[in-house]
Amino acid sequence: MKKYIFFFLVSIFITNNLNSQAVEFEQYKLDNGLTVILHKDNSAPVINTTLMFHVGAKNEENDKTGFAHFFEHLLGKETKNMKSGEWYKILSSNGGNGNAATSVDLTFYYATMPSNSLQLGLWRYSEIMLHPIIDQEGIDIQREAVKEEKRIRDNQPYSRFYEALKSNLFKEHTYKNPLIGVPEHLDNAVLQDFIDFRNNFYMPSNAVFVVAGDIEIETTKNLISKYFSAVPAAEKNDRVVIKEEPIVKEIRAVEYDPNIQIPALVIGYRTPSMKSREARVLDLISTYLSDGPSSKLYKRMVDNNKTALQVSASNIGHEDYSMYYILSLPLGETSLEQLSIEIDEEIIKIQQNLISENDYEKLQNKFENQFVNSNSSASGIGVSLAQYHTLYGDANLINSEIEIYRSISRDEIRDVAKKYLNTNQRLFLEYLPENEKK
Amino acid sequence: MNKTFINLIFLTSYLISFAQVDRSIPESGPAPKINFEEPVSFELKNGLKVMFIENRKLPRASVNLLIDNPPIVEGNLNGVGIITGGIMGKGNTFQDKDSFNEEVDFMGARMNFSSQGGAASSLSRYFERVLTMFAQGALYPNFSEEEFDQEKNILLDNIKNNDKNTVSIARRVENVLAYGANHPYGEFTTTESMENIKLSDVTKFYDDYFKPNNAYLVIIGDFNINDTEKLVKKLFGKWKNDKSLESKFAKGSENEIIEPKEDKGLSINVIDMPNSANSEITFQNLVNLKKTDDDYYSVLIANRIFGAGPESRLFNNIREDKGYAYGAYSSISDNKYSKAKFRASTSTRAQVTDSALVEIIKEIEKIHKIPVSSLELKNAKAKYLGEFVLAMERPSTIANYAINIERNNLNSDYYKNFLSNINRVTIEDVRLAANKYFKLNNAQIVITAKGSEVIDNIEKVTFNGKSLPVLFFDKKGNQIDKPIFKKEIKDDVTVQSIFDNYINAIGGKNKLNAIKTITTVASVTIPNAPFSPTAEFKQKHPNLNAMSMTVEGMGTMMSTRFDGENGYLEQMGQKIPFEKEQIDSEKQKKGLFEEIYLNISEMKLVSLSAIDGKDLYKIKVNDKSYRYYDAKTNLLVMTEETMTQGGNEMTSTTKFSDYKDVNGILFAFKREISTGPQNIVFNISSIKLNEEIDDSFFN
Repeated sequence: MKKYIFFFLVSIFITNNLNSQAVEFEQYKLDNGLTVILHKDNSAPVINTTLMFHVGAKNEENDKTGFAHFFEHLLGKETKNMKSGEWYKILSSNGGNGNAATSVDLTFYYATMPSNSLQLGLWRYSEIMLHPIIDQEGIDIQREAVKEEKRIRDNQPYSRFYEALKSNLFKEHTYKNPLIGVPEHLDNAVLQDFIDFRNNFYMPSNAVFVVAGDIEIETTKNLISKYFSAVPAAEKNDRVVIKEEPIVKEIRAVEYDPNIQIPALVIGYRTPSMKSREARVLDLISTYLSDGPSSKLYKRMVDNNKTALQVSASNIGHEDYSMYYILSLPLGETSLEQLSIEIDEEIIKIQQNLISENDYEKLQNKFENQFVNSNSSASGIGVSLAQYHTLYGDANLINSEIEIYRSISRDEIRDVAKKYLNTNQRLFLEYLPENEKK
Repeated sequence: MNKTFINLIFLTSYLISFAQVDRSIPESGPAPKINFEEPVSFELKNGLKVMFIENRKLPRASVNLLIDNPPIVEGNLNGVGIITGGIMGKGNTFQDKDSFNEEVDFMGARMNFSSQGGAASSLSRYFERVLTMFAQGALYPNFSEEEFDQEKNILLDNIKNNDKNTVSIARRVENVLAYGANHPYGEFTTTESMENIKLSDVTKFYDDYFKPNNAYLVIIGDFNINDTEKLVKKLFGKWKNDKSLESKFAKGSENEIIEPKEDKGLSINVIDMPNSANSEITFQNLVNLKKTDDDYYSVLIANRIFGAGPESRLFNNIREDKGYAYGAYSSISDNKYSKAKFRASTSTRAQVTDSALVEIIKEIEKIHKIPVSSLELKNAKAKYLGEFVLAMERPSTIANYAINIERNNLNSDYYKNFLSNINRVTIEDVRLAANKYFKLNNAQIVITAKGSEVIDNIEKVTFNGKSLPVLFFDKKGNQIDKPIFKKEIKDDVTVQSIFDNYINAIGGKNKLNAIKTITTVASVTIPNAPFSPTAEFKQKHPNLNAMSMTVEGMGTMMSTRFDGENGYLEQMGQKIPFEKEQIDSEKQKKGLFEEIYLNISEMKLVSLSAIDGKDLYKIKVNDKSYRYYDAKTNLLVMTEETMTQGGNEMTSTTKFSDYKDVNGILFAFKREISTGPQNIVFNISSIKLNEEIDDSFFN
C-alpha cells in the first residue's frame, strides 16, 4: 500500500514518432533450448509474461483425446514451492490477472501484472517447467472441472459448430477429435498418461517465453537466466504431419443443438495451413464476403433479400490445415438450401471476376485498421509474439504480416477462390435445433 | 596463472549462483508511478459535456457518445429502445444507408449507434470524416418503414431463438423476480411487446429522449485538439436542449420507478428448462448502494473476498474444493436511481444443484459471522490496486473516470483518493458491510435448470432447520403450480412393451383370454352424500356391460346397460339413452382387457413423469383418451377420458390401486373416478370370474 506513490501532474503519454509503430523485440535462446522474446514499452507500468508450448489437441492419440487441455488444467496447480491452487491468489495479491488456454495447435500460460511484479512472472513460469506436482488428487478434481467446462460450453447456442466443422472436414488428421476430449477418455486417464504427456511435449526446446511491457532489457535478461537456466534440456520430438486426401466430393452432415430454435447452414472447406500465403488471401476473401454492412453476403442476404438473419465467413487458421467456413441463419421461412444458393452465387462471382478496385482498397484499409489495433496492449503483443514464433517460426511477422496482405493482388484473390471454394470440395452442414431430430 | 584463477572463479560463481537460486515466492519491487491526466473538458451551450484525451501512441482515434438519462420504462412497447438503436445508422438525412455503409466500410472504420448514444473509431487520417458521419447518424436519423420492418423481424427471430437458451431465460427471470416485471430493470421484451411497436413509436422515443441535456462526448487518440474542438462545436452545437426532459422522469410520469416489495424470507424459485445440460444457480438480494456511501469501499472489499474472482472464497469452495462448477462468482452493483443488486451465481451439473446452493448460503453465513483474515483483506486490496494500475494501459480509463465523476456527482478527487480509501477498510468494516449488503432475508435463490433432475434434492434443502419454500415460475417469470417434470424414456420402451408388461404383470395373455365375464361388487363413497351405495358391475366379452348402484333401504339409485348396440342410463326413474359418442366408444371395446385388443398403431408414448410420487408412462390412445402405467410395477395406474354428456365436455380421471389376485389374475380393488370437483371412490369387495350371464341381461 505504502509502496504506491502517485504523481498527478505529468502526462505519461510520450509523443512517439508516428512512423515507428513497429513492435521492437529481442529474441535469443537459453542453453537449455528455451526461446526468449523481450519487448520493451515503458508507456504504462504494465507487463505481460507468456509461456507457450508447441503442443495442442492435434498431438494427442486418437484414443486419448482431451489430454492437452486436461494437462493445461493440471500444470501449475501445485509446484515444489507452491501449494495447490495458490497461483491465482498470489497473482492477484500482487495486482495481476492471468489464465491459460489450449487450442488444436498450442497451449499457453500467461499473466499480466504491474511491472514491479516482473520477478513473480518469471518465478511462476520457471517453476511450472522445473518441478510441477501432478498427482491423482489433482487429476480427479480437474477432471470434474473439465467436464463442467464442457457442460457450460454445451449450453451456449451454436457452440458445437467448430467441433462439427473439424469432425466432418477431417478423416485422418487428429484435428477431427474434440478439443475438450471424449468423456470416456477423460474418465480413463491415469497418472502415467500425464507424466508421459509432459515428457513428450513440455521440454524447453518446444517452448517460448515472452515478456512484453514496462521492462529494462538487460535486467530482465539476467533475471530470466537466474530463473530458467535450471530447467533441463531435452530434445524435441519429431512430429509427423498426418496427410488428408483432398476433398473431391461434397460432404453432407447434420449436427443437433438443444439450445437453439433457428437452424444454421454451415458451409466449410479444408484450406491450407495458416502459414501459407493462400491462407492470407482467404482472410481477404472472407472479409470481402461478410465483414461489415457493405460486404457482399451481408448486403445481399441480410439487407436486400432479407433471407438471412445473419451471415459470416471466416478462415479459421490452423497449423496443418485451416478451415474456411460460411455460417448463415435463415430469416423467417427461408430454407437452408435457399441460403446456399445465394452464397454459391456470390462465390462464383469472385471465382470468375476480379473484385473492383474500390473494394480492393476497402479491404486494405480494413486490414490496416486491424493491424494498428492489434498491438495496443502488452498482453496482446505478448501473445502475438509467442504465437508468431511458435506456429510460423518468425516472431517478426507481428510487424511484417501486414506487408503480405498489402502484396496480394486482385488476381490472386480470384485464383485462390477458384482453387479452394468449389462445391465439390465442401462440407454442407445442417446445424439444427434438437427438436427437429427425426 | 591469474587467468586460470579468474576462470575458476567464473566457473565457480556460475555454479554457486546456479545452486543458490532462491525459489521462494519473490517480493515485488518498489511501486510503479501512476500518473493521472485530466482530460481537456468543455461544455456546449446545449448542455453537452465534451472531453478530449490526446494519445499519439498509435495512428488511430475514437469517439464515444453517452446519453445518461434515468432509466426508461418501456412497458408494453418493450423493445422500442433497441429497435430505435438498430435503425439509427441505417442512413440519415445527409446520406442514404448504402452510401453511408459503403463509406464507413471503405475507410475500415467502425461505427455503431444505440438509443443511448454510440461510438466510432478509425485510422487518424480518416477521423475528421468519421466524426462528421457519426454526428450526422446520431442527430439526423432517417427512420424509414422498410428499415423498421427489417429490424423488427430480426429482433423477433432473436426473441424466438433465446427462448430455448437456459442462460437467457435465467437472467431474464432473475430480474423479474428481483425487481418486478414493471420496473425498468425487470421488464423484458416479448414477441407481444415487439409486435406492438410501430414506426411512430420509434420516432417518438427518439424525440423524447435523444437529447444533449445529460450527454457526454469523449474523443481519444491521435487528433488535433484545437481543430477538433471547432469541428465538435459545428457538428453538435445545433442539437437542441429539451427543457421538458426532466419532467418525463418525474414522479407520476410513465417512467416513475415502482420499487419492488420486500419479500419476507429466503425462497427457492425454480424455472424448468427441460433441455438444459446445466443448472444456472443465482442467489440475489436488492440493496441501496451509491458510490458516495461511506461503506461503499467496505462492501467492494467484502465482495472481492467473497466471490469476485478465482482467488475468492466462493470460487475456491465451489470449484477448487468441491469441483461442482467451472466457476462461481459474486458481484455488487451501485445505482443512483433505484435499488442495486448483490448477486452470487454459478452454473453446475444437475446432480449437484442442491449442494452448490447450500454452499453459497454457507459462505454468506460464514462471512457474516466470522471476521475475514488480515491476509484476505491484504490480498483484496492488492487486487484493486493491480486493476487500477493495469487500467492505465487503456486511454479510455481516464475518460471513464471523468464521466463517472460528473454522472455520479463525485468529488473531483474521487479517483485520486480511490486507492487510499480502499486501503482504509478494516476487518470490522468488511463484516459490517457483509451483514448489511449480503442479505439472507429478503433474498431469492433462482434456479433455472432441468426440473426433473433437480427437484427432489432442492425440496430437501433446509435453512436454520426449516425447509425453504420452493416456488415455480414459467419462462416469463409468472408464478405457476409445480409442474410435472418429464424424464427420459429409454429407447426400448414403447407402447407395445408397456402393454405387454402390463398384461404379463396381471396374469399373462392366456389367462386373460380365458375370461368371458367379470362380476364386480364394490362399496361406493360419494363425497357429501349421507349414504354409501353398493355398486354391482357386470361385464361380458366383448363389450357388454351393466352397472347398478343400490342404497340400502332405498333401492336402485342408478343403473346403466349396454348390449353391444344400444345402451342407456337410468336414474330416478328416467331412462336416458346413450349419445352416439358414448355408443361408439362402447362399441370400440373389443374385449374385457383393453391392452390385448387395442390397436396401438395410432397411439403415442407421450412422456415419463413423476406424478404423485410415482414414475408413470403416459400413453395417448387418442385425442380424448390417455392411459398411465407405473414404470416400476408395470400396472395400469390411471386413465383419462374426455366425454360429451348433455352438450358439455368433461374429462374424468380414473385411478387404479390396491391390486389383488383373483384366480391368478390381478385386479385393481380400488378405483377413484374424478370428474371435475367430484370424486367417487369404489372399494371393491369381490370379483367373480366367468359367471354365467345371459346376453339379454344387458338389454
